[in-house]
Amino acid sequence: MAAANPHITADAIEATEFMDLSRKYRVTGVPKTIVNETIEIMGGLPEKMFVRAALDLPEVSETPSL
Amino acid sequence: MGLLSPQDEATLKQHLSAITLPVELVLFTQTFGGSESGDVAKQILGEIASLNDKVTIVEKNFVLDTEDKAKYKVDKAPAIVVLSDGIDTRMRMYGAPTGYEFVGLVEAIIVAGTGKIDLDPETMQWIQAVDTPTHIQVFSTPT
Repeated sequence: MAAANPHITADAIEATEFMDLSRKYRVTGVPKTIVNETIEIMGGLPEKMFVRAALDLPEVSETPSL
Repeated sequence: MGLLSPQDEATLKQHLSAITLPVELVLFTQTFGGSESGDVAKQILGEIASLNDKVTIVEKNFVLDTEDKAKYKVDKAPAIVVLSDGIDTRMRMYGAPTGYEFVGLVEAIIVAGTGKIDLDPETMQWIQAVDTPTHIQVFSTPT
């Protein structure tokens, strides 16, 4: 995501190396993603779900309406 | 003794062969008071760089190289800053890139070295529409 947009920075952090940060963000399982200190994403998600969650985009129903 | 097996080296070399742009890995480590993971990070980057001429390593001292630390907004060490043809990709790795983190590093190098981002077109539209500072931190462990 970072490579695609200059407004985005992406840090991959080794949780056991930086325990203060892991405690700060209550990292009890990995992967855990924090976006702008406010959005928390637990675990791995499919690409679109992850990006929607990270960018706080509204959910889009996949079910066609009748 | 290398950290990568001969088979892993061959596989990695094959993946890195797609690189067309110079990739600089700026490694910040702390000599005194730093963790051993800095040495591990240095060894891993060295092994990767040995497999492709376009991948180079630049070593920085986390304490002394204050200008570069500020330039790349690095606030902890060891840190790896990934540059693509001299341009900051804004991708950072903190800690030694071992285990699963090694895969992430290789993927970052390939993105930086090819300029290609393998994402769904709709996903790319969402990402490219972002117009405010967005800081993503992904916590993981080697295993």
